Amino acid sequence: MKILSVKDLTIEFHDHKLPERAVEKVSFDMDEGEVLGLVGESGSGKSLTAMAIAGLLPRKRLNAFGEIIFEGKDMLKIPRSELRELQGDELSVIFQEPMTALNPTMRIGKQVEEPLFIHHKELSDAERKAKALDWLEKVELHDPERVYHSYPHELSGGMRQRVMIASAMVSDPKLLIADEPTTALDVTVQAQIIKLLLRLNLKQKVAILFISHDLSLVKQISENVIVMQNGSIVEKGKTKDVFDSPVEEYTKKLVAAIPEVRF
Amino acid sequence: MIKTVKKLFEKYKGFNFCAGLIITAVIFLIAVTGIFYTPYPSTAMNAALKNAAPGAAHIFGCDNYGRDIFSRVMEGIKNTFFISFFTVLLGSVAGMILGAVCGYYGGKLDNILMRLNDALFAFPSILLAMVIIALVGPGAFNVVLALGIAFIPSFARIVRAEFKKQASLDYIAGAKLMGAGDIRIMFVHILPNILPVLISSVMIGFNNAVLAEAGLSFLGIGVQPPEASLGRMLSEAQAFLFTAPWYAVFTGLSIALMVLGFALLSEGISEKK
Repeated sequence: MKILSVKDLTIEFHDHKLPERAVEKVSFDMDEGEVLGLVGESGSGKSLTAMAIAGLLPRKRLNAFGEIIFEGKDMLKIPRSELRELQGDELSVIFQEPMTALNPTMRIGKQVEEPLFIHHKELSDAERKAKALDWLEKVELHDPERVYHSYPHELSGGMRQRVMIASAMVSDPKLLIADEPTTALDVTVQAQIIKLLLRLNLKQKVAILFISHDLSLVKQISENVIVMQNGSIVEKGKTKDVFDSPVEEYTKKLVAAIPEVRF
Repeated sequence: MIKTVKKLFEKYKGFNFCAGLIITAVIFLIAVTGIFYTPYPSTAMNAALKNAAPGAAHIFGCDNYGRDIFSRVMEGIKNTFFISFFTVLLGSVAGMILGAVCGYYGGKLDNILMRLNDALFAFPSILLAMVIIALVGPGAFNVVLALGIAFIPSFARIVRAEFKKQASLDYIAGAKLMGAGDIRIMFVHILPNILPVLISSVMIGFNNAVLAEAGLSFLGIGVQPPEASLGRMLSEAQAFLFTAPWYAVFTGLSIALMVLGFALLSEGISEKK
């Protein structure tokens, strides 16, 4: 079952006299429970594509054409109020900087509960808390009760990223967009977070759009992969095929540049 | 309640904080007592006690109409305190909403409102307040209105700058992606983060309001007689500076203490940050 279908997505900036195309005619589909890797160098348009899917593009400053169909709705055309109903409920995002992505003056528990508070008003405070604690445990944080009452500055980077994942997953989304979720973490923590994401994908059947410039990570986590360069898709297909026998010159160079490190 | 006070004291042990808290607490107590009790009726005149020196019966002495100065100072502190309080309340709430909307949304609306704000800012706030009073007439309520409006620009500017800074941070993008609405983001997510800045500007604002209210009353366009007001008493005391110096001394001292208390308090709080 398809859950996301992107068709001819084109994004233009209007900062200068001539429009600049940052993303050009990008098309791909995602199935339920699929892990799709989106790789490319910085400036290739991968994050912008992800932001468009998440509905976080500033509509005034950029023009986006094409279609992004998620849950039968075109994310580029529906009004913000409808967008808000999907965000945090059916679709969640984890950012790359766990240090700044949490509100410094809000307790962890409240931040994990926030999506429930916004989308599931029917739940009582106790039910919300139980769910949040459950998720803090599912992302393998020790002593969830203590973490629940902590502030972000009391946690380490790895713990904060786990909190981010808990908060993204708490309302059981169908699609999780992970925008370079491990870039700011050290290698051992990286491996733990990747394993955690894979487990969540298996258990919760959440589809993950994994954006990274780290090819060795993408190779481990995703079934399918899309390679982007200069705003367009260069190559896409099964991860194994793309990495073992790349067709395009650019992909060949990228694959050749992967350092041989194994976890 | 006692627990929170204890916690506060542990957090801010500094001398400034303690001294400021004690002075402000005493002033506050006098202001609240002044609502329902003064040793003598503040408007009762007694020709026999004209410009009487401080003594056991009248500890601050009496003024040129034979009214008890202590009672009048109490009432003056009450008036000044509550006028300043509501002035700052009006100015900070309106300024906060304006600043939040401008800082969060930005764009054309921000530009227009902030240029208007700059225009208001160009006038000294006391002059602006005088213009408004000239339009609506004197009286306690109108003083609050006039000073409150005159105080909006400074609050709006501070809050806007802080909101602009916070709105570009990742956690706000995160909150948006959880589906939070604009109002919720502004007041549940951003506001707690700018509270330290807001609190210190409210405290400075309170001091300015005390001085501005006293200034307006000194000029005779604030609180109207026979109601007592510190500024007005000071202007009356001028004429008797040599025959009854206690009149000016005690009145001036209470204004100074009011401002000092809050200044020390805000200093003490920012020390710890």
